[in-house]
Amino acid sequence: MRKVLKNEGVQAFLASLICILIGLLIGYIVLLFINPSGAGDSTLNVIKNFLYKKPARQMKELGNTMAKTMPLILCSLSILFSYKVGLFNIGTAGQYVAGACASLYAALAWGWGWLPCMLFAIVAGALLGGITGLLKAYCNVNEVISGIMLNWIALYTTNTILATVKESTSPYTHYIDKVNKSALLPTAGIDSLFGNNNNVTIAVPLTIIVAIVIWIILSKTKLGYELKATGNNKNAAKYAGMAQNRNIILTLVISGALAGLAASLLYQTGYMRWECTQSSVPSMGFNGIAAAFLGGLHPIGAIFSSFFIQHITDGGQYVNTNFYSPQISDVISSVIIYLCGFVLFIKLTMKKWIAKSEEKKGAKN
Amino acid sequence: MLLLIQYTLIFASVLLLVALGGCVSEHSGVINLGLEGIMVVGALGGALVMRSLGTTSAFVMVLVAMLAAILSGMLYSCLLGVAAIHFNADQTLVGTAMNLLATAAATVFVKAMNTAANPDNHSSEIEYISARKMFIVNINGFEFNWFMMVAIIAVVLVYIFLYKNRLGLRLMACGEHPQAAASVGISVYKMRWTGVLISGALGGLGGLCYILAGVSIWKFENGVAGFGFLALAVMIFGQWKPTRIALAALIFGLFRALSNTYTGFPFLVSMNLPGNVYNMMPYIVCLIVLAFTSKASRAPKAEGIPYDKGSR
Amino acid sequence: MGEEHKSEYAIEMLHITKRFPGIIANDDITLQLRHGEIHALLGENGAGKSTLMSVLFGLYQAEEGTIKKDGQEVKINDPNDANDLGIGMVHQHFKLVECFTVLDNIILGDEPVGSIGMLKKAEARKKIVALSEKYGLQVNPDAKIEDITVGMQQRTEILKMLYRDNEILIFDEPTAVLTPQEIEELMQIMKNLAAEGKSILFISHKLAEIMAVADRCSVLRKGKYIGTVETKNTTMEELSAMMVGRNVNFHVEKQPANPGEVLLDVQHVTVASKAHSNNAVKDVSFQVRRGEIVCIAGIDGNGQSELVYGLTGLEPLVSGNIIMDGQDITKASIRKRSVSGMSHIPEDRHKHGLVLDYPLEFNMILQTYFKPQFTSKIGFLRRKNIREYSDRLIEEYDVRSGQGSVTPARAMSGGNQQKAIIAREIDKQPEVLVAVQPTRGLDVGAIESVHKQLVAQRDAGKAVLLISLELDEVMDVPDRILVMYEGEIVGELDPKQTTQEELGLYMAGAKRDEVKVN
Repeated sequence: MRKVLKNEGVQAFLASLICILIGLLIGYIVLLFINPSGAGDSTLNVIKNFLYKKPARQMKELGNTMAKTMPLILCSLSILFSYKVGLFNIGTAGQYVAGACASLYAALAWGWGWLPCMLFAIVAGALLGGITGLLKAYCNVNEVISGIMLNWIALYTTNTILATVKESTSPYTHYIDKVNKSALLPTAGIDSLFGNNNNVTIAVPLTIIVAIVIWIILSKTKLGYELKATGNNKNAAKYAGMAQNRNIILTLVISGALAGLAASLLYQTGYMRWECTQSSVPSMGFNGIAAAFLGGLHPIGAIFSSFFIQHITDGGQYVNTNFYSPQISDVISSVIIYLCGFVLFIKLTMKKWIAKSEEKKGAKN
Repeated sequence: MLLLIQYTLIFASVLLLVALGGCVSEHSGVINLGLEGIMVVGALGGALVMRSLGTTSAFVMVLVAMLAAILSGMLYSCLLGVAAIHFNADQTLVGTAMNLLATAAATVFVKAMNTAANPDNHSSEIEYISARKMFIVNINGFEFNWFMMVAIIAVVLVYIFLYKNRLGLRLMACGEHPQAAASVGISVYKMRWTGVLISGALGGLGGLCYILAGVSIWKFENGVAGFGFLALAVMIFGQWKPTRIALAALIFGLFRALSNTYTGFPFLVSMNLPGNVYNMMPYIVCLIVLAFTSKASRAPKAEGIPYDKGSR
Repeated sequence: MGEEHKSEYAIEMLHITKRFPGIIANDDITLQLRHGEIHALLGENGAGKSTLMSVLFGLYQAEEGTIKKDGQEVKINDPNDANDLGIGMVHQHFKLVECFTVLDNIILGDEPVGSIGMLKKAEARKKIVALSEKYGLQVNPDAKIEDITVGMQQRTEILKMLYRDNEILIFDEPTAVLTPQEIEELMQIMKNLAAEGKSILFISHKLAEIMAVADRCSVLRKGKYIGTVETKNTTMEELSAMMVGRNVNFHVEKQPANPGEVLLDVQHVTVASKAHSNNAVKDVSFQVRRGEIVCIAGIDGNGQSELVYGLTGLEPLVSGNIIMDGQDITKASIRKRSVSGMSHIPEDRHKHGLVLDYPLEFNMILQTYFKPQFTSKIGFLRRKNIREYSDRLIEEYDVRSGQGSVTPARAMSGGNQQKAIIAREIDKQPEVLVAVQPTRGLDVGAIESVHKQLVAQRDAGKAVLLISLELDEVMDVPDRILVMYEGEIVGELDPKQTTQEELGLYMAGAKRDEVKVN
C-alpha cells in the first residue's frame, strides 16, 4: 500500500479524485439547499450523463459527449503545454474562438474542404497565441490580462465576420452540411461504434495522437527540455543560452494552434453552429483549465479528465429543470478547479503521512 | 455629449473601485485575479437587496444595497485568502476558478430563486427598476449616480490608508518585503488578509455599480464582461498608485462609454463602423496601453509569492 | 554606570536544542551575554549561529532549553516578544523595504500614531534625528533605501534598534558588505553603544574583527557549543582551531604563473544598471591571459555583477568590445559565447546556476544538452548518454547526493549544488572560466577544493577570471588583482606585494591609479 502511494502518478491521481469527490459533494449540497427532494437524483443524473438514457440510445449519446470531449482535450493540452513553460494561457478561450471563426468562414464562405479549413483554424489560433507571446516577450505584458483582452476582441471580431455567413432568420451560421458537405470531418467508420452518430469523426483518433505527441515533445525531446527549464527557472534558461523570447512565443503559438484545432474539430462535425450575437466567450477554453489541472498537468491525464469534465457538463442537462439549472455542472467543475489549487498541499500531506508511517515501521523493526 | 460624460463617469467609477481593490490587494502581496468573480458576487448581493427591500427611502436603499455588495464581496474574497495566504495555492489558478464559479453559482442561484417564485420562470435575471432610480439624481438631464461620489471617496480613503496610516504602511511592507515586516513583529498573514478583504469589499461595490451603470435588469449568466480584468489593466497603467489609477480609470471609462453612446455622435455614425468595433474598443486600448507601460512596471516586489516563514 | 542589575547577565540562553528534519541545528548550546559587553559568536557557515539567533529573536522555537533575561526566565514566541524584551537585530541581509524612506523603515512596526492609526511622522523624525546625533549615525530620513549606500542602510538598521530602545543588540555578520574603512567606523559605533550600556552580540567568522572589538567570544561548531574565551587571553590561532576543529592551512599552494597570450580582452566596456539610471560599469578595460588567474576585487555592489552579465551576455553592453581568443564576441549570444569556450560559474546558483526541479543529470547538461552527444538529429534526448555523462561527473568531482543522477537538484546541499555547477562548467573544457564568488556559502574543506580546481585550470593553460568579495580569497588565489569601485577599475595590484590595508583603501575608493591597458 505504502509503496503504491509513494508513486508520484498515484499521488496525482488520488489528489484529483479527492478534488472530484469534494466538487460533487458541494454540487449535491447546493442542490439540497435549493430543493431537498430531488437533489440526490439530479446529482446522480449529472454523474450518469448518457447512462441516464435507454440502453439503445446510450452509445449515440456517448458519441455526443465524445464529440465535445475531443476539443476539450485539445484545449486542456493548450493550457497545460503553456503552463509547463510557466505561462498561464487563459487566452486559449479566445484562440479557440479564432479557430472557430477561421474554420467556419473558410467552410461557409469559401467552400474549402475539411483539411484546409482545419489548417486555417490552426493558423488562426496560432496567430492569436502569437500576439500574446509577442506582447509577453517584448513588452512584458502579463499573459493573463492580454489573454482576457484578446478573448473579447476575438469574440466581437468573430461575431462580426461570421455574421456574413449566418442565416437571415436566426443569429446562427448556416449548417455546414447544407452549404458545403466537403468541409465536414470524415467519420471513417468510427461513427458506427457510436450508434451511427456522425458527430463522432476522425477527431477522436486525431486528438489522441496529438495528446501523445505533446507528451513525447514534453518528456523526450530537446524542445521539451528547454521549455520545461524555462518554465521552472527562466533565469537559468537564459544563463544556459536558451532563446527565451523565441521559446515564449513558440510556446504560445503551439498552445494557440491546439486551441484553434480544438474549435475546428467541434464546428466541422456540424454538431454546433456559431451564434453571432453571443455576448460571452464560449466556456470550452475555460473548461480546459479545469481539465488540465484535474489531469495533473499530464497530456495523458488530460484525456481522462477532459472526458470527465465533459461528461458531467453534458450530465447537467439531465437535472430536474423544474427546480435546478444545468449550470450546476459549471459550479461543480469550477469548484474542482478551485480545489486543484490545493493539490500541492494534498500531495504534501500524503508525503508527510507516508514518511510518518514509515518512521513508525522503522521504529518497530 | 452629456450622455457620454455621464457614461464615462459611471464606468470610470466601476473601474476605479475595482482597480483600487486590486491595488490594495497587490500592495499586501496577493494578486487578485478573482476580481471579476468578486464583482459578480457583489452585484448579486446588491441586486438581491434591491429586489427584496421594495419600497423604502432612497437613503436606506443606497446604503443597504452597498453594504450588501461590500459584505458579499468580502465573503467571496475569503476563497482567495484561504487558498493564497494559507495554502500557497497558485494565485492565477484560484482567481480563475473564482471567476468561473461566481458566474455559474450566481446563475444557479438566481434561476432557482426565480423558479421557486414562478415555476415557469427559468431565467437568470433580476429586475431593479425602482431601486435603480434611487441611486440616481437627475441634474438637468445628467444622471448623477451616487456611486460617482463613492468612487471619489474611495480614492481619497485608499490614498490616506496607504500613505498616511499605520495599517497601510504595514500592509505595503508585506507586499514589498514580507520578511522585513515579520522581523519587526508585523503579522504578514493578517496584513495579507486585510488586503484581500479590502479588495473584496471594493470589488463587490464595483460589481454593484456595474450593473447599475446603464440598465435596470441584469442577467447573471453574462458575468461582468471582463471588467475585473480591465480594472487590473487600469491598476497597472496607474502604476499601483491611487491617484494615477483614478486618471487611468477615466481614460478607460471613456472608451467603454463610447460603445453605449456612439450613435449620438453624427461624426462617429458617419464613419459607419460596425457596433462591435466600439464594443472591442476598451479591450484594444487596454492592450495597446499595456504594451507601452508594462516594461517599466513598478509592481510590489513580493506580489504573488507565497509567504514562507522559514525563508530569509 | 550606576544602574543596578538583578543579574550579571543581560540575556542567557541555556541548553538550547533546536532540530530540523534530519539535522540538529543547535545541540545543547549555552550563551551568556553580560551587561555592557561586546560578545562575539564565532562559527563557520552552518555551525548553527543563525539558528540560535532566530531562536533568541522568536523566529523559531527551541525544543529544549530556556532563555533568561536579567535572571528571569522568559518565553519568546515571535519578534514582538523579542522587541518587548529589548532585543534588536541587524540582520545579515538587511530587512529594509527598498521603496520606503529611511524614516518609514525605522518606524515600521512601532509607529507613533494619533487617532485611527494616522501616522505622526514629525514626532518620529525628531526622535530619529536626536538618536542619530547622539550616536553619530548619519542618515537622511527622507531618502529612499534603494537610493542610499550600503553603509547608510546599515545605519538605518542600527537606528531601528535604538528607536525601539533596545538594550540587547545583535549584529549578524555586519561587516560582510562593508569596506575596511567602513568596518573601522562600525567597530567604533559598537564600542560607543557598549559604553552607553547596551549589550552587544556580534556574530562573525572573521577572527581579526573579533579580536579587535569583542570582550568575550563563544564558539560553535557543527551545531555544538565548543566554549567561551576572553579575547584578551587568546590568539587568532586558538580561536581558529576552536572554530574548525583542526588547524587549517589558509594558504593556497600554487606555483608561479606562466601567462601566455591574451584570451580575454575587455575594451572600454560600459554596462547599464538595473537599479538606477547611472551606468553600473563605466569604461572598464582589462585582459586575462592564458595560464593566469585574475581577480576582480571590490565591495559588493560596485558593478562586478553587471560586468559579469556584460561579459557572459546576460545583459547587453552600452558600449565597448569584448574579444575572446581573437574573436569579437561583443554582440554574440550567450550560447555563442558558451560554445566558443566561455564557462560561467554564476554568482547565484539558485537564480542562474540550476533548474532546481530538474534532476541532477539534467542540470549537468544544462550548457551542453543540444550537442549531438545528448540530442539526436531529430531532436530527441539521448537519455542513456546523459545518464552516463552525469554519473561520470558525479564520480570525478565527488558530487554527493541522495540518489545520484536522479536526485532533484532542490534536494541537494548547497555545497554539493555548487560542486555540480563547477563540475559542469569545468568539464566543458573552457578556454575562459568566469567564476563569480565560487566559494560562497561553502565550508572550509570545500573552499580548499574549489581553490585547487581554479589553480588546476590555470595550470592547464586556461584563463581564469575570479570575482570575489572575500579578502582572504582575493589575497591568496589570483596572480593579479583588479579593484573595482563604483563601476570603474581603480587599481591593479600584485597579491604578493600588496597588503590587506592597501587593498582596502582601493576598495573604499580612497586610493586610485590610472590603470593602464597593456
